[in-house]
Amino acid sequence: MSTLAHHEGPFDRALFVAGAWTLAIVWLLPLAYAAWTAIHPPAFVARFELFAPLTAENFVRAWNAAPFGRYYINTILLVTMILAAQLVLCTLAAFAFARLEFPGRNVLFALVLMQLMVMPDILIVRNYATMSALGLLDTILAIGLPYFASGFAIFLLRQTFKTVPRELDEAARVEGCSLLGVLWRVYVPLARPTILAFGLVSVSHHWNNFIWPLIVTSSVNTRPLTVGLSIFATTDSGVEWSVINAATLITSGPLLIGFLLFQRQFIQNFMRAGIK
Amino acid sequence: MKTWTTTALALIAATGLAAPASAVDLEFYFPVAVGGDAAGIIERLTQDYMDENPGVTIDAIYTGSYADTTTRAITAARGGNPPHLAILLSVDMFAMIDEDIVEPWDPYLTEQEIEEWIGGFYPAFLRNSQFEGQTWGIPFQRSTPVMYWNKEAFEAAGLDPERPPETWDEMVEMGRTLTVRDEAGNVTQWGVRIPSSGFPSWLFTGLVASAGQDGLASDDGTEVFFDTPEVLEALEYLVSLSTEHGIMQPGIIDWGATPRAFMDGESAIAWTTTGNLANIRANAPFEFGVAMLPANVRRGAPTGGGNFYLFSGHSEEETRAAIDFVKWATAPEQAARWSIETGYVAPRPDTWETEAMRAYAAEVPGAVVARDQLEFAVPELATWEGPRITQILNDNIQAAIVGDKTPAQALADAQREADAILAAYR
Repeated sequence: MSTLAHHEGPFDRALFVAGAWTLAIVWLLPLAYAAWTAIHPPAFVARFELFAPLTAENFVRAWNAAPFGRYYINTILLVTMILAAQLVLCTLAAFAFARLEFPGRNVLFALVLMQLMVMPDILIVRNYATMSALGLLDTILAIGLPYFASGFAIFLLRQTFKTVPRELDEAARVEGCSLLGVLWRVYVPLARPTILAFGLVSVSHHWNNFIWPLIVTSSVNTRPLTVGLSIFATTDSGVEWSVINAATLITSGPLLIGFLLFQRQFIQNFMRAGIK
Repeated sequence: MKTWTTTALALIAATGLAAPASAVDLEFYFPVAVGGDAAGIIERLTQDYMDENPGVTIDAIYTGSYADTTTRAITAARGGNPPHLAILLSVDMFAMIDEDIVEPWDPYLTEQEIEEWIGGFYPAFLRNSQFEGQTWGIPFQRSTPVMYWNKEAFEAAGLDPERPPETWDEMVEMGRTLTVRDEAGNVTQWGVRIPSSGFPSWLFTGLVASAGQDGLASDDGTEVFFDTPEVLEALEYLVSLSTEHGIMQPGIIDWGATPRAFMDGESAIAWTTTGNLANIRANAPFEFGVAMLPANVRRGAPTGGGNFYLFSGHSEEETRAAIDFVKWATAPEQAARWSIETGYVAPRPDTWETEAMRAYAAEVPGAVVARDQLEFAVPELATWEGPRITQILNDNIQAAIVGDKTPAQALADAQREADAILAAYR
């Protein structure tokens, strides 16, 4: 970044700023529209008057249309469980693939990579049958289980671990660190940006996941927020934008606020992890 | 609590003790496709049934949109855990038979029941529910498109606010009067709005029926009739509304935004489903009317919506209990309640004779329009490989609307592509 800034002229800079603003506005418009419709009566969804009456009724209606309180708890449990399991399993697997020699390592790693190429949606029937056989239908665990061993996380962490200098690894071992000790004290701290970046991707993906949770769960006690949101997508009778947008803000609000609060850290970590 | 009972029952069964003969657990998947509290209404219905029938437990599971519900039903059935009942699109009948996961209802019914119960539904609804002499779907969540008109806009344009267009020509004529332009020539109010996003083939079937053709496919779902003169006339008329007559917004018109556009006065006439009646009645700031779709050589409209399907893979006792629930749900009192609370068209004439329904009809004349239109209704497009065939027609209708193809070219393409797929089923 700094070398680039060194060479840029005023024209480049103006172009850069204009581009950044355009992208920001394009990103912000749908959100601004959602906020506008959510806080105004339905009559104003396509009319923008500065002094249109404000209302909280859309939020009240949206909140009462589904047990969102319980769905919140379920979604938070779900994403926390998935992320925790992914981090433990994938860190261990990635470390083995990056630094340990064992027979069949390359074949196994190729299998992990193949997982990246399979669309999760085509596995729905198979996964459902597995969950049914395990007796896990209609549990939060069933929603998360197929995602625990994430091929993407293993691949990402393996690449990061491979960039850790061998010397650090060896120095730690000379100091008497066990294998897991090396992983915990040397590799994990150095991979922190990657882990954070992956965590963000994982949490937002599972926060938004809809079709699999809908299929594998049946009761209020296990279903996530997206299922609650879907009852507003009433294709037969047209869409009530004000209520649906209020519901969207309710369900995506925590993620948005979290991202805005921690955006500096996230962006820095993304830059360091090399995902853009 | 429920899990406790289930576990207890399972234990009793497992240890070889006789479980009470009447205890039956049923699973029932339902989609929600209309606004309001449709999910709550279904849950209250099943609860009432359970209160009346203590031996039966019905787990009513909300399963998203129609498409999501179909996905889930197929997934669960293939995963060895089919529901007992599900409400799926009536046009999905061929797909469900193809998947081999549903059963016909007739073998479980006596001849008298077939005559009185099955025979008691409107024939227009049964046409998408029967195949090779067997009934595969019981009409429940059914709808039909109607024409809404803004009485204030009619009055402002100097038209009789109590007289909607009766024919295609009248709709064009009135549409011209109703289309309002400002000084710069921009349209501030369109005459007509026939939405074309998502599933244009549905409303288009109404035009095809008015042009004199009885639906777009054969009853056995192996033939489609897309390139006939009647269908061409219907598509040319639809396209001409914006190109030739300038009374409809050009391009693809969004389905979901249609009620709002009508209520905001963007269009004086709008075609959409009866499912919008409750919404428009509650929110339109002006007097409006509901009419049948205008006629050309005859009146016509498609039916739409969902049926109860019976899934295979259960004991006879459970299947009979499921059928008993559906009989109860389609009985006059329950069907009337369902129709009034959701806006779906009550699927049996006897429902309309209940006191609740009479009172509703007197209060909301629009509801009666949908019922009376059933006499002229034709089936919605339903074939083997239904979603693919419908998509082909939708894409080609849209291509004609945006001007990528002439109507004749679009329909010839649709016929050719559909024939290639359906050949395997003939």
